[in-house]
Amino acid sequence: MSGPVIRARDLRMRYGRAEVLRGVDLEVGAGEVVALLGPNGAGKTTTIEILEGFRRRSSGEVTVLGTDPGRGGDAWRARLGIVLQNWQDHPRWGVRQLLTHIAGFYDRPRDADELLEVMGLTAQAGQAVGRLSGGQRRRLDVALGIVGHPELLFLDEPTSGFDPEARREFHALVERLARDEGMTVLLTTHDLAEAERLADRIAILVGGTVTVCGTPSGLASVVRAASEVCWLEDGVPRTERTSDPSRLAFELHRRFGGPVPGLEVRRPSLEQSYLDLVAGKDEPITGRRAA
Amino acid sequence: MNPRTLRIGIRRGWAEYVHFLRSRRELVSGLIGTVGVYVLLVRWQGDTIVEGTGESQAVLMTAGFVAFALFSAGLMNLPMGISADREEGTLLRLRTVPGGTSAYLAGRAVSVLLQIAGYVLLMLAAGAAFAGLGLPSSPGDWLTLAWVLTLGTLSVVPIGAAIGALLPGPRNAASILSLPLMALMVVSGVMFPVARLPEAVQSVAQVFPLYWQGLGLRSVFLPDSMAVAEIGGSWRPAETAAVLGAWAAAGLLLAPYLLLRAARRESGTRLAERQERRAAQGAF
Repeated sequence: MSGPVIRARDLRMRYGRAEVLRGVDLEVGAGEVVALLGPNGAGKTTTIEILEGFRRRSSGEVTVLGTDPGRGGDAWRARLGIVLQNWQDHPRWGVRQLLTHIAGFYDRPRDADELLEVMGLTAQAGQAVGRLSGGQRRRLDVALGIVGHPELLFLDEPTSGFDPEARREFHALVERLARDEGMTVLLTTHDLAEAERLADRIAILVGGTVTVCGTPSGLASVVRAASEVCWLEDGVPRTERTSDPSRLAFELHRRFGGPVPGLEVRRPSLEQSYLDLVAGKDEPITGRRAA
Repeated sequence: MNPRTLRIGIRRGWAEYVHFLRSRRELVSGLIGTVGVYVLLVRWQGDTIVEGTGESQAVLMTAGFVAFALFSAGLMNLPMGISADREEGTLLRLRTVPGGTSAYLAGRAVSVLLQIAGYVLLMLAAGAAFAGLGLPSSPGDWLTLAWVLTLGTLSVVPIGAAIGALLPGPRNAASILSLPLMALMVVSGVMFPVARLPEAVQSVAQVFPLYWQGLGLRSVFLPDSMAVAEIGGSWRPAETAAVLGAWAAAGLLLAPYLLLRAARRESGTRLAERQERRAAQGAF
């Protein structure tokens, strides 16, 4: 397939007078795993729902698998897999029964029993969906999302409410899907560690726009907020934030005419930088895009 | 709707019906509720002679309860089911699937028709066992039975679906629906001849399909001599067809639009909002 799987240009969404998305730009290539990272209320779910064709955008240019999601028909929908938050549907259906039912809508579905095995749900195959634990339920949601062999999988906050063990297993599963099947994945999360672990690229959504977008390592240099340089002057601790700590240290060195007492350079972690970014404390130092 | 979607929809309707039969709550409200109340009433009031006819009230009540079973399946069970499907995300799940919304609607139609068939047969059997209800004797009565049940079903199922698309949530649905339904049951001649009630009440009853469904069924199961106990002293088949047909037409016009709108409006955020609200309500 030529061109990006997802392409959004200046995507805007208004509810009444509130502007939730203020020009989101996003591109996802075939086979990529991209995380849409941001705090609650940043517009992640709205963005993903527009891309899934569940919500009409106010303006902007959007194509998903070469089609405008607002006009996607059944043939287009058959190429998508969708895993949303908060599903409690079909509580009376059996696990295997529901999976087989949903598989029936697709031309070449996966084998339900194999899929249950992969998801570790074989023992629950005959159980009612409403009686699954939170983690099992979520794995079933993913099974239902990929049973139709989608080219593109949307995962909205896939691990919220997971314990660390379930989260690790889930991460391994997504990696397997992306690596072994070449599935393109767009996931939303508010957890930086999860985004770093899973994504080829991370797009940080703050205040309704993608602030930065890049590989986890590229992002680290772009997003990295000002370092803190601390020293003692006349016995008083001093602190200065700077994007160029070595230059400041050099200047201090010249001013003191020798070693600077108590000199310390603190480089913030990616996590701290992300939190600063989210809190609006810091603008990223260099341009909007990383490699 | 393509043949595959229709086939999945029919299978889905059957599966939903099996789940419905297996659910203890439905069994209690359906079997014990409707049939139990019916048996008690027939035992208690069935021997009363209907004024001016010399016949007992038992068969009249049976016809009324068959009508009510059909009526409540269409206007209580169906909207509550659709409302629950919206709240739990069933409708949204099917929206993520190609052809899912059409299959959902086909499935709902199949499951409500199976429910109505089940209820009607159950009530007829109970009528035969407890009220001496006999099968229709003439081909004309069979024909009337067929069209009254068909038109009666069409008069409530689309409207019920439209209500289900509008209701806020299944919990509120029960309280919003049950009171008017019970009121209609009282005024529509399910338990005693409606001619006994004040004329204003009679006029209200005649607006809604329940009265006409019951009237049509009474015309099948009661001797023609009992028509004198009805409004106007007649079975009024033409009016019955007209009123039921009008409700069917209104429902068929409204329901597709409202259902598709409800399906289109489902999204993850809406689902989350509703669930949060429900959790907040539950906390009180």
